[in-house]
Amino acid sequence: MEETRLAAHLKDRPAQLKEAKKDGVKIIGYFPGNYVPEEIIYASGAVPLCLTHGGSPQPADAALSVVPHIICPFARAQIGERLLRENPYYSMLDMLVAPITCQHLKKVAEVWEYDGDLEIFKLGIPHKYDGDFELEYYTDRLRALKDRLQTFTGNEITDESLGNAIDLYNRMRELLRKISLLRRISPSPVSALDFVKLNHASFYADPVFMVEVLESVYQELEDKQQTAETDKPRILLISPNIGNGDYAVLELVEAAGGDVVIEEICEGIRYYWYDIENKGDLFQSLTRGYLVDRVPCAFMTDSAKKRLDFALKLVKDFNVSGIIWYELLYCETYDSESYFFAEKMGERNIPMLILESDYGTAATGQLKTRIEAFFEIVKGVA
Amino acid sequence: MIELLKLCGFEEREIESELPRVEKAFHRLGITAEDIELGKQRLTKYYDVELQGIRKAFRLCVREVIDSVLAREEGKKKIIFGFMIPGFETIGPVLMSKSKEVYAAHYSWAFLLVFGCIFDKMVPVLEAAEKKWLKAGAVAHCSNLKTLVGLVALDLIPRPDLMVTSGFLCETAPKTLDLLHELYDIPVCCWDTCQDRGSGDYFDDTDRAVDLAAKNLRRLVKKFQEVVGFPITDDMLWEALKARRKFDNALGRLQDLIHSSDPLPLSPTHDNLWMILSSLTFCIEDIPDAVDAVNTAYQEIQERVSKGVGAMEKGAPKVLGALFAHHSDPRLEHLAGELGIAVVVESPTSLVRYDRKRQDPYYVMSLGLGGSLSAGLTIKIPMQIETCKRMNIDGVLDRYHVGCRAVTGDALVIQNAVEKELGIPVLLLEWENFDPRVYNHEEYRRRLEVFKTMMTQKSR
Repeated sequence: MEETRLAAHLKDRPAQLKEAKKDGVKIIGYFPGNYVPEEIIYASGAVPLCLTHGGSPQPADAALSVVPHIICPFARAQIGERLLRENPYYSMLDMLVAPITCQHLKKVAEVWEYDGDLEIFKLGIPHKYDGDFELEYYTDRLRALKDRLQTFTGNEITDESLGNAIDLYNRMRELLRKISLLRRISPSPVSALDFVKLNHASFYADPVFMVEVLESVYQELEDKQQTAETDKPRILLISPNIGNGDYAVLELVEAAGGDVVIEEICEGIRYYWYDIENKGDLFQSLTRGYLVDRVPCAFMTDSAKKRLDFALKLVKDFNVSGIIWYELLYCETYDSESYFFAEKMGERNIPMLILESDYGTAATGQLKTRIEAFFEIVKGVA
Repeated sequence: MIELLKLCGFEEREIESELPRVEKAFHRLGITAEDIELGKQRLTKYYDVELQGIRKAFRLCVREVIDSVLAREEGKKKIIFGFMIPGFETIGPVLMSKSKEVYAAHYSWAFLLVFGCIFDKMVPVLEAAEKKWLKAGAVAHCSNLKTLVGLVALDLIPRPDLMVTSGFLCETAPKTLDLLHELYDIPVCCWDTCQDRGSGDYFDDTDRAVDLAAKNLRRLVKKFQEVVGFPITDDMLWEALKARRKFDNALGRLQDLIHSSDPLPLSPTHDNLWMILSSLTFCIEDIPDAVDAVNTAYQEIQERVSKGVGAMEKGAPKVLGALFAHHSDPRLEHLAGELGIAVVVESPTSLVRYDRKRQDPYYVMSLGLGGSLSAGLTIKIPMQIETCKRMNIDGVLDRYHVGCRAVTGDALVIQNAVEKELGIPVLLLEWENFDPRVYNHEEYRRRLEVFKTMMTQKSR
């Protein structure tokens, strides 16, 4: 029921947004990674769109006329989507808020800036997430973003409008969190593929509508939840990125009889573990929520240990029996970290499989074989 | 060995006193008699070691490697290594000049020149890193990082009391140090800022990024103080900056002479030598030695220029070598020289607003952020086009280092822009700046020959 309603909404969404643009509403894109507070964009009366498309080889390949192959396929996909002009979301943007995270996404912002047909706001993300100067810097940049958006949209961002936006997105995060937590019990009432798709939908759908959908979905799942014995390997998926459309690994895991019960992903799906405090100086609240409270992404300084600890907590809380580490080819920080994680997980006798993707379809057979073999190991350990 | 040291500018008396140290350090590094023979051949083949200034420059690099290798056993109580941290060559001298018990140097630069360019021994170091977390293959990890991890894994250079890096050129150096900390228990620290400068408000944005870097650097220096146990004052930093400026000015004058002369008076292989020399962490009292090396080279090269003598024919096509020459392997630059292509390097251009009223050494040290390497495409491209015009360039050789996404990602856009704006050919070479295994003589020779033909036809 909700699935149908959401699908219909998403189908109509580009047309809705085009209509809104005619009325002067601005469409503001941003790159995922959860370092851009969409609340500020929403409070300005603009529509925030998180640009998460990835997984298909065509856009990533199209970008090779602009950047070499060594840039990660997700970053290339962003460039390619705009070059191909087939994806309505990428063509309707009025402005991009580019979080300066890793070199790959930084390069996308630079290429688009050089093209010159889009307003760009570069949002510096301090790689040290707990230093005083860095937090002050990020807060100042959020205030600068507010100023830029006010000028760009002609709408004032008040404490009230920002507070309302925080409430709305907190509710969305809370619902996603609650749905995700249902997966602690075996069997999961929702597949990882459905959960990730739901999460991706939340970046494009109208947020008020999305909250309604999530409320119903949560209720439905809670009602149908029951405990039963299963020998399905319970998998933690760790990845820098699951793009909207990059579902091959999730599908292969499902087909091989595994169950991804939790994802630790820096980009591509919404970060929902923590809420933003809606009191006091809201920009400081956003800084805490988006930078300090969360688990740092791998490109952050001093992040490996903190990330490992969080992964171990997920292993425990979700009764995980194996880890699939899914990285995008050419992502150096995740590739470096995979060694550290494999060593530390090995010390704890937690099996871990490292997979790489360049969004090519040729390696699917190999991925399938490796996942199936991995599940044999996981079952053996269990 | 003695012959090698002479080629590297060591004088008789110094050889007498230094020989045991050199032997000990070379033994530690696994440099054999065969390596020394090879080293002598490579020095004479790839470098103008008949010039006293060149030998003196090599001497300083060799000395830094020996000092680094022996630092711990020679009684240095505190060792701090910098890795990919521009500006450390200013702070290092402050630390060492204040206390003889402290040793501070860039970790890899001198090593790459000595171990790689002279002795051709980089491969085992890189392979050691590849067995750790910087695997070989498509991911193309930066081989400067591999050099660092390989050296640690092989235990060739002592473990430091602190290792520092910067994050504003890339995130991979801090990540590597993060893992060195977790897996080898090496204390680490990072100097950083945000690279979120836009083209519209470039100067204001740069001021903001520089300010954050300056605050961050102050925090890093506090960390140094904790490690070495003495205060580092602004006056000490000013003194180092002042002393260093003499060296930088001398080097700038030398490079201007080389790049503006026709015929090119020195093979392009030396570009890397100057770059490495500029990154050495001299004690303040040793800076005059470095200035002397550069000034000696200047006088010798000036003499060549006056006589019209060059490393290649007059009128050879002048090529802007975008980015750096190979740091551990001189073969490509040598090949270019042999083919009569006058490669001149792009001097690090700075586009930054310098507020002279600000009497803050941290601010001054952070101004390096304005360099072309860290700027965005909208800034980099006009800078490069301007450089080509100013230097009367016939073509651009963009040797983009695949290990560095920041520069790799620019290559195609810059190529298109330069070709469109100036109508000169741009040769893109995808390679690895620190890994000699990428060198493919036949492929490079063919491509450089075609490139030269394109330039020659264009100028007719």
